[in-house]
Amino acid sequence: MTTGKLPVAVLLLVVMAGFVQFSYDSQRGYFAERDVFLTLPTGKVLKVFSFGYHRLVADVLFIWSIQFYSSYHLVNRFDHIERIFNVITDLRPKFRAAYYIGSIIMALEAKDYQMAIRLLQKGSRNMSDEWVFDYEAAYYARKYLGDYRLAETYYRRALRNPSAPALIRRQMAHMVYLQDNLQEARKLWADIYQNSSSDLERNAAIHHLYQIKFELDKKMLETKIRRYRQHYGRNPINLNELRRTGLINEVPKDFSGQDYLYDLKTGTIQPRKSFKWKRFS
Amino acid sequence: MKIRAIAINTFREAARNKVFYLLIVVGLVFVLSSRVVSLLVIGDRVQVLKDIGLAAINFFSVLIAIFTGINLVFKEIDKKTVYNILSKPISRHCFILGKFLGLAFTLLVALGSMMLVFSMFLLLAAGEFDWRLLIYFLLLYSELLIITAVSLVFSSFSTPILSSIFTIIVYLIGHVVWTFNEFKHRLVDPVVKIVAYVMYYILPNLEKYNIKDQLVMGESVRWNLVGYSLLYAALYISALLLLSVIIFNRREFQ
Repeated sequence: MTTGKLPVAVLLLVVMAGFVQFSYDSQRGYFAERDVFLTLPTGKVLKVFSFGYHRLVADVLFIWSIQFYSSYHLVNRFDHIERIFNVITDLRPKFRAAYYIGSIIMALEAKDYQMAIRLLQKGSRNMSDEWVFDYEAAYYARKYLGDYRLAETYYRRALRNPSAPALIRRQMAHMVYLQDNLQEARKLWADIYQNSSSDLERNAAIHHLYQIKFELDKKMLETKIRRYRQHYGRNPINLNELRRTGLINEVPKDFSGQDYLYDLKTGTIQPRKSFKWKRFS
Repeated sequence: MKIRAIAINTFREAARNKVFYLLIVVGLVFVLSSRVVSLLVIGDRVQVLKDIGLAAINFFSVLIAIFTGINLVFKEIDKKTVYNILSKPISRHCFILGKFLGLAFTLLVALGSMMLVFSMFLLLAAGEFDWRLLIYFLLLYSELLIITAVSLVFSSFSTPILSSIFTIIVYLIGHVVWTFNEFKHRLVDPVVKIVAYVMYYILPNLEKYNIKDQLVMGESVRWNLVGYSLLYAALYISALLLLSVIIFNRREFQ
């Protein structure tokens, strides 16, 4: 081999070695060989030994984490994610982006919603003037955990902040509705309807009040229809028959003042407008 | 007058030192590179830009203080120029004070130029000027003066390499000494507790000059604490200069 070709051969070998390393990492996972983050000191220790440069250390770790968690070929890159973001936020307790981005990575990529909520709650504790962390936690609780009670709790916490947008009040009222706490939900939506000056908000309140009233009336009416059937061996011909037989004092109307639709065959009632917010409604 | 003449000469000497310019230039490169680094961040870019810029200014100005400070007295002794100076009617304490003031002015120029560039850079990159940078400047300058005084103490009896090591150690301790205050409440042994107390109050506490958190997060700076920090610096620097004078007075030049 001539001397001129040697550098090319070296370069080729190095590139090939790089590809082998890439495949190796993909197969074994980043942390399988490098347990660096098992020995990563806690935030408290790093704060002491960063000698006043703890903000810089947090920034460097955060920048690294963004690049690292974008390396999709590393299969087990999420192994120490909570520890890493805890260290970053211990070093900079008011690092808004770290809580926000960290929770997004935990929830949407690592699919660990509880972990994302834990990080967001840490953010909420350390930055009590921010509503966004509780709001995000509520979103994960509602959307991915289906835990409406937990979501309601976080929305209520977000609402303690005076700068929280009106949207959160609506979301919280909606969570109460989804838990089938219809009386409480009706109070909350009525309050929103009475005190809001926004058309959008009032419309949302009208829709909810319509649906809540329907669900309350449906529950009451269908109980009466069942009782009627037990007594007469058939469904009532219409809802007025319930009134005539003294089972109800008055036939309820929907929120807009119209009659409900009654199905004689099944003995069930339906609204004229349908809002399918509940999963099995 | 004598002190002033020594101070001016010290400044001229420092200004001729290429390392001095090199550190300023590298510091400025790091300050400006914060813009590039901040592009790698999602969200809070201005904060990261400020973090890196301020950290670079802090780090390189400390390096300037240490590496210029350690040569102050040693060079004069090593090159035997101290004989010429002290053979004139100049007292040793005037010599030490002049040296300190000369370096203080050098640091003022170095730190001032870096802060000026950073402020302009921040104005261009983030569209904001934070007047609290002036407080940061004042506090960082106080910290640098303490470090210079420390290096002057070591420089008056030790070689530059040892002086730089000792000064760096004092600087690092100065930034962790706040932990002694945390530990002392957890210590059980009364002797160890007393040692922790004494160490906490004797060693220079430099963390109080680190207001990067408040500055970047837009939090208010408490004026009374700034006042205490400046008073602390004045007292500590006076004590160190006095110590330097005592050591220097005891030295015999042959």
